[in-house]
Amino acid sequence: MSSFILDGKQIEFKQGQTIIQAAADHGIDIPHFCWHPSLSISGNCRVCLVEVERMPKLVIACSTLAAEGMVVHTNSEKTLAARNAVMEFILINHPLDCPICDEAGECKLQDYAYQHSVGESRFTEEKMHKDKRVELGPHVMFDGERCISCSRCIRFCDEIAGEPQLTFVQRGDRVTIVTYPGKELDNPYSLNVTDICPVGALTNRDFRFKARVWDMSSTKSVCSGCARGCNTDIWVRSNEILRLTPRHNEEVNSYWMCDEGRLNTFKHVNSESRVSGPQIKRDGKLNKSNWDEAYAAAFGELKSYTKDEIAFIGSAASTCEDNYILAKFAKTVIGAKHIDFPRHIKAGDQDNILIREDKTPNALGAELAGIRPAADGLTFHAIMKAVDEGRIKALYVVEEDLVGLNPAYKETLRKLELLIVHASNYNETTELANIIFPAATYAEKNGTWVNFQGRIQRIRPAVTTIEGDRSLDNLAMSRLDKFGTEFDRWGNVKKMDARPVWKIISGLANTQSGKFRYSTSEDVFNELVKSVPDFSGLDYDVIGEKGAALKKFVNTKTV
Amino acid sequence: MEKIVLPDIPNFDKIDTYLANGGFSAYRKALTQYPDDIIDQVKKSGLRGRGGAAFSAGLKWSFMPKTTDKPKYLCVNGDESEPGSFKDRQIFEYNPFQLIEGILITCYAIGAKTCYIYIRGEYHKWVKFMEKAVETAYEKGFVGEKMKEVFGGGFFCDIHVHKGAGAYICGEESSLMNSIEGKRPYPRVKPPFPAQNGLWGNPTTINNVETITNVPAIINKGWEWYASIGEPKHPGTILFGVSGHVNKPGVYELPSGTLLTDIIYSYAGGVPGNKKIKCVIPGGSSMPPLRGDQLEGVKMDAESLRMAGSAIGTGGIMVMDEDTDLVKVLARITKFYYHESCGQCTPCREGTGWMLKLLNRILRGEGSTKDVELLVSVANNIEGNTVCALGEAAAWPVKFMVTRFRDEFEARVKESAAREVVNKVHSMRRTVNPISPINI
Ligand SMILES: Cc1cc2nc3c(=O)[nH]c(=O)nc-3n(C[C@H](O)[C@H](O)[C@H](O)COP(=O)(O)O)c2cc1C
Ligand code: SF4
Ligand code: SF4
Ligand code: SF4
Repeated sequence: MSSFILDGKQIEFKQGQTIIQAAADHGIDIPHFCWHPSLSISGNCRVCLVEVERMPKLVIACSTLAAEGMVVHTNSEKTLAARNAVMEFILINHPLDCPICDEAGECKLQDYAYQHSVGESRFTEEKMHKDKRVELGPHVMFDGERCISCSRCIRFCDEIAGEPQLTFVQRGDRVTIVTYPGKELDNPYSLNVTDICPVGALTNRDFRFKARVWDMSSTKSVCSGCARGCNTDIWVRSNEILRLTPRHNEEVNSYWMCDEGRLNTFKHVNSESRVSGPQIKRDGKLNKSNWDEAYAAAFGELKSYTKDEIAFIGSAASTCEDNYILAKFAKTVIGAKHIDFPRHIKAGDQDNILIREDKTPNALGAELAGIRPAADGLTFHAIMKAVDEGRIKALYVVEEDLVGLNPAYKETLRKLELLIVHASNYNETTELANIIFPAATYAEKNGTWVNFQGRIQRIRPAVTTIEGDRSLDNLAMSRLDKFGTEFDRWGNVKKMDARPVWKIISGLANTQSGKFRYSTSEDVFNELVKSVPDFSGLDYDVIGEKGAALKKFVNTKTV
Repeated sequence: MEKIVLPDIPNFDKIDTYLANGGFSAYRKALTQYPDDIIDQVKKSGLRGRGGAAFSAGLKWSFMPKTTDKPKYLCVNGDESEPGSFKDRQIFEYNPFQLIEGILITCYAIGAKTCYIYIRGEYHKWVKFMEKAVETAYEKGFVGEKMKEVFGGGFFCDIHVHKGAGAYICGEESSLMNSIEGKRPYPRVKPPFPAQNGLWGNPTTINNVETITNVPAIINKGWEWYASIGEPKHPGTILFGVSGHVNKPGVYELPSGTLLTDIIYSYAGGVPGNKKIKCVIPGGSSMPPLRGDQLEGVKMDAESLRMAGSAIGTGGIMVMDEDTDLVKVLARITKFYYHESCGQCTPCREGTGWMLKLLNRILRGEGSTKDVELLVSVANNIEGNTVCALGEAAAWPVKFMVTRFRDEFEARVKESAAREVVNKVHSMRRTVNPISPINI
């Protein structure tokens, strides 16, 4: 391999790599605004100017190819002078409204201003003024004064989203961003521009002015919106999710996620419609009960039916651990053979970027973990038919709103004698239930999902429930968790009385047998690994932050 | 004295006159030789680009890949938007067929099948002239498929006249290509250079109108002849556009190396009222200005002007007499580059506006001695840090005007500024650490 010298360090590089790429591969950040590893090179910001020995002028590290024996200085006198000059130029017309800017705290410009500029400006003139609130599209707001014309957003639309919607207009310091005439920034991936915008020029209209970034915790998670399983960060303040952002994973989603996943997969967690505490229906009315009472009641009711009269519905939204325990309970404790889960396929809603037709995050995992009918058992549709015909009298549904899936099921489910439901939120199915167990959402528990590529990925609790212990369960802590007091308004946060499926079913089973002894989802996973060969060789550490391919899918490349 | 580009022949812009004076004989001669031989002759002739950088034309052509499946292009740069520069339009008006013949030879030499003549939008009249000439050439079979019948040989090429939309930046070669492609004319980051990655990613050569118009004569009369005209390092004749405080402003075709003072005093008729000269910009507004007392013995060619502390640029000579307000001149020049900065890269986008604001403030009598220093510093911070040479074009006049006429600027400012300093602090670098690590 060839190498060059960067600030006295030997750096290896692949042929065709630029200086900045090679440095990034070695964990060295050469300051830059416009360069982005997944976008074409634009070379406009000039912050990455570096000195290369024997080259007459400074060169930009983002477009200059590394060459054998090259000697590069990123901190020489000349480089520093150029970088300071560029930083000063960028800031002369910048509004410096950090105190009211959403980006503050995660702003490249702010960070570089601290790290790489001299601190004082020599500019004493009137700044340029531009539009400060432009709705570029349904989700994105533009502030012209904060824009540093790096063109990342334009290149994103052209190159990643494949829909040219943004462009520069005007010249010189009047340059600004607009949508093409008659167009909006409304591609399915539009909000990614708010992540890659190095400043606060593009903001997420759903999140604008909700929180200072340093008041939130961020927890590594996975989007639940479809079978892609984009890696995400969940941002929480006062136990409330305020936004999701994509987390880099080149194998799955690169730096991106779709707007649908970003905006519409977390609001139910904060919603007023949450089920908190187990509910038992008596005389047509739901009553809150305690967990032990609910476990006993549910188990007792189930036991009053023969195994042919009972069916279990798992969920591709639940974790592998949840589905594994459900299957284990259904098969070994009840002896049931009718067990399956419904598919959520939105035909045609798929592209060759990220979005998948299967709108669940764990269809593959649910099936592998055991949610499939016994040889003589009924599949999902057959189960629903059997319910309709009165052959199945008791139905145990985990995290699926069946009526929401198909309104006709409302009549079907009315025919049941017993309906037990795990649900995070009240819905039309819970209305018909005899017993409701409050389900912890994906944002409140540990677990794993297997995406359409056969890649297993971890979700982690970002929001705490009443029983959840944040620090033990890898919960990230925000500044408020650490320093907030009882007297702060965020001291008394709302917590749900909800539990993950595996825990509820274990509780239920243990009212009788006491054999479901797991204290964490990791315990469940370790047993799953032992009993299902598809998962062999895995543990939570192996899966890590970026997931791991299940053995039989290792060679399927589906990015 | 011989004129190559603008001969003193009446009606030379008419095809019959052009043909009667040996028109298209150079192309016929070229056809009897190998393309590489043509490139070699142009290289040896010493012909250097007339678009500003005075780069060897033959050398540039030799960068074009010889073996490639891609189509190759020639762009003829007639954007001519530099203030003080108005020579290419003379060619469009008075010698369009020699330009066309030059294009044919160049296309043959570099293997291009398509040529674009890019003319600035404001040259509406000259676009019409050129379109007419190209049309005539097509009719006569001097351009296009019919060339094969008219001249023999297997070669032919097409010529399109492309009208710009009114931006100085489109004269920058990579910006020009983006403009032809229908894109926003932001200059491209180089390398890759046009010969590798030009129009639509294909090998492309860009030359100035005047450069190409010299080519037929070189082929006809031989490179030795051309190399012997004027200064050996920058031979040939040059079109000098003289403007400002002279009695006879206009375009003069003279051998390279002609004395600047000869051009001003004999050809252009001297300064009205016999006033003294305070300042001359010898190569178009972006070139370093010379003081009136620096002009003696300065020869007009690339090397001599470099020694004298300026550059040949486009040969646009702007003369300013002793009564000229240079602060005002500089403010006006800076306003031009401020207006024309494309805004792509940070130093030029921000710096041009800053320099203009400083100059306007000095003009209003609100400047301080510090502001004069600041001007030079801002110019220095632009220079060398930009995507294209417009950065230098904006920085040089400021830097050199202020340093060469410092007295003029200092006379206009006070010891200390009358105004309050606003926006002073933009970070507290030394007191606070970054809050979060830098994300990609
Ligand atoms: C801002 C800018 C404007 C330019 N404008 C012109 C122009 O109007 N005409 C021109 O021939 N060259 C212009 N140039 C120079 C071209 O980039 C290029 O060097 C030239 O056309 C090459 O031709 P030559 O080698 O024959 O001189 C400009 C360069 C810059 C940086
Ligand atoms: S974009 Fe960054 S630097 Fe600009 S106001 Fe916002 S936080 Fe401050
Ligand atoms: S809006 Fe943001 S991403 Fe787009 S050009 Fe401006 S600074 Fe760059
Ligand atoms: S130097 Fe000026 S004109 Fe050239 S690319 Fe940069 S901003 Fe545009």
